[in-house]
Amino acid sequence: MKRAFGIATWIVIALLGAGALGAIALHRGELLNAIWFVIAAVCCYLVAFRLYSAFVAAKVLALDDTRATPCERHDDGRDFVPTNKWVLFGHHFAAIAGPGPLVGPTLAAQFGYLPGTLWLIAGAAFAGCVQDFVILFCSIRRDGKSLGQMAREEVSERGGFIAQLAVLAIMTILLAVIGLVVVNALKSSPWATFTLAMTIPIAILLGLYLRFVRPGRVLEASIMGVALVLFAVVAGQWVADSPSWSHVFTLSGVALAFAIIIYGFAASALPVWLLLAPRDYLSAFIKAGAIFSLAAGILLVRPQVLMPPLTHFVDGTGPVFAGKIFPFCFITIACGAISGFHSLISSGTTPKMILREGHARLIGYGAMLLESFVGVMAMVAACAMTPGVYFAINSPPSIVGATADAAAATISGWGYSLQPQTMTGLAHAVGEITLWNRAGGAPSLAVGMAQIFSSTIGGPRLLSIWYHFAIMFEALFILTVLDAGTRVGRFIVQELGGRVWKPFGRTGWMPGVLISSAIIVALWGYFLYQGVVDPLGGINSLWPLFGISNQLLAAVALVVATTILMKMGRLRWIWVTLLPMAWLVVITMTASYQKIFHSNPRIGFLAYANALAAQIAAGKIPTEKIAETQRLIFNQRLDAAVTAVLASMILVLIVEALGQWYSILSRRKQPVLHESPYVATKWAADFTGAAHGDD
Amino acid sequence: MPRIPKSISRPLRRFWYGLREWCGDAAYERYLRSPRTQSSSRPALSPEEFYVQQLNRRYSRPNRCC
Repeated sequence: MKRAFGIATWIVIALLGAGALGAIALHRGELLNAIWFVIAAVCCYLVAFRLYSAFVAAKVLALDDTRATPCERHDDGRDFVPTNKWVLFGHHFAAIAGPGPLVGPTLAAQFGYLPGTLWLIAGAAFAGCVQDFVILFCSIRRDGKSLGQMAREEVSERGGFIAQLAVLAIMTILLAVIGLVVVNALKSSPWATFTLAMTIPIAILLGLYLRFVRPGRVLEASIMGVALVLFAVVAGQWVADSPSWSHVFTLSGVALAFAIIIYGFAASALPVWLLLAPRDYLSAFIKAGAIFSLAAGILLVRPQVLMPPLTHFVDGTGPVFAGKIFPFCFITIACGAISGFHSLISSGTTPKMILREGHARLIGYGAMLLESFVGVMAMVAACAMTPGVYFAINSPPSIVGATADAAAATISGWGYSLQPQTMTGLAHAVGEITLWNRAGGAPSLAVGMAQIFSSTIGGPRLLSIWYHFAIMFEALFILTVLDAGTRVGRFIVQELGGRVWKPFGRTGWMPGVLISSAIIVALWGYFLYQGVVDPLGGINSLWPLFGISNQLLAAVALVVATTILMKMGRLRWIWVTLLPMAWLVVITMTASYQKIFHSNPRIGFLAYANALAAQIAAGKIPTEKIAETQRLIFNQRLDAAVTAVLASMILVLIVEALGQWYSILSRRKQPVLHESPYVATKWAADFTGAAHGDD
Repeated sequence: MPRIPKSISRPLRRFWYGLREWCGDAAYERYLRSPRTQSSSRPALSPEEFYVQQLNRRYSRPNRCC
């Protein structure tokens, strides 16, 4: 009876999900309510978790709860710490959820709500969650080894080196592009700039408190810090209203880029307890609060989705970024559907804290489903605003026109009616000087979030506070990724440099610290500056580059996973990782080819460089602009070279893996699996890892 | 003072301990309880030493994603 009830419940959930998906896919005419997105996503996630993840856990990976996990064998109270599965779920989710699932779907909304939403749901269920889950499992079976170490041992020495280079490459592009998102969110906005600037002294105050007053008392320090940051959001309005102070915090894009570069260097070179860690604590609490509030806001307000299911920009002429729906929708939404970066977390801290292999299903697969849901909410927030406003915020002036009247006319000409006064009124209502040309996803998401939040609490009166709260939340945790990423990049540079000259690899050697910090900051800083001065809007070239590198890293992770499954003799189920891998290779290679060789200058880097060179040759560029244009030409060629290097790295790795697979399948070589030996667990079946609170 | 029913106090306590574990507030207590600390002949680290060492280790590998 109980079983029949269970089956009936799951049939109802599946039918509800199918109905909601059908509603958002086939809906035409009247406006669609956002609640359908929530129902479709949640039901699909529940069914995917109940059926597909259970299948992967039981058949493909054959998780074994009798096997002692790394934290049982090496419990040292530091890295290897047995942790309750829900606590670890929270840890893992906080680590994987960054700005990507918020920004990517917001940008991809230019294709309409449908392609991005379907890719978020299906990509997560069949690719992203599978990657996170399988890599977590592989790392658990190898004492928490990193992706690079596993690639070296299971694929080849060269494979490990490529994985490490891929991590450095993605880190560089990622840091540049998220820096650009912050620049576009803060430029000409004294309120937002002041609020974010204040988070630095607040973090230092917290750092000193946690180091010298009450060491390690993170909770009380974070509560104080969050209160101070919220006060800074309110105080930002006073600064913006003060004629003497507002100009101090009204910065241009270039000035902000340099400020962020200096900040990144300082955060990497200063002691971690002073700035980086306390900012991270602040960010984690505010992130959890803001994501929960957004979900609650969408459920309470149930906004209408104003964006059509498909826009005519699926043909590749989109103003936010150029390129057809295939492959660029799948490149633009990386985090939220599948993100290679997650494989670094799944083979980092999490496997060292997991109590049982069986928990990997909830933590690896489940946390990624939740991240995908964050992506769907971002899509809803972007699509709930008037499409004309969305395009006005996200389009560069070179596409829509430099003046408000020209831009409004261009956007209205696309069929999304917009009056210039609408943008002036909206900018005034959210406390900004202007909202035109703020590409990057953050301001449009903040407008969407502010409209949802203010419909719940405060009404139009609080719209400006909510907008700046949303901007602060996005910028705060983008900068947290930026400083933590710069520091990790510094360690990778030191490790690679240490191979050439040993003292450079010592992490405590100050000249090495300063030089390696300067190298990694110079790498991403260069791309950031280039993005800020790019007349096409840097997002157009940098975000696809970031998507390509992130998906390439995912392909690396899935190559490693497929090789391991093959060595384990799970040939029958190899498609579970092989199909997403093949899909990623197809989209990244197509996107890389188009970004390099496409004849449209807005898509192809080389075509744009050639078009600019032709303009110089034809004498169409004024003399004073020739040096600037030549620098732009160099940058486009550099972007083409970077894309080519990224694509070549994955091709080399695949060739390496194919060699391995051939020798395993042809039985020319006995497969050697580098798993830790089986040790039976001594923990009772109901042991939860929490010494307190589980009475 | 009226006693809070167990059906309310228990989930609240669980949430509180979960929150402390999640944010790292309880990390030092964990360290003191761990088998390796208890069996070690060397004296345990002070809260301050443990905190700084923990942070240096945590932020030397990818721990925040995009």
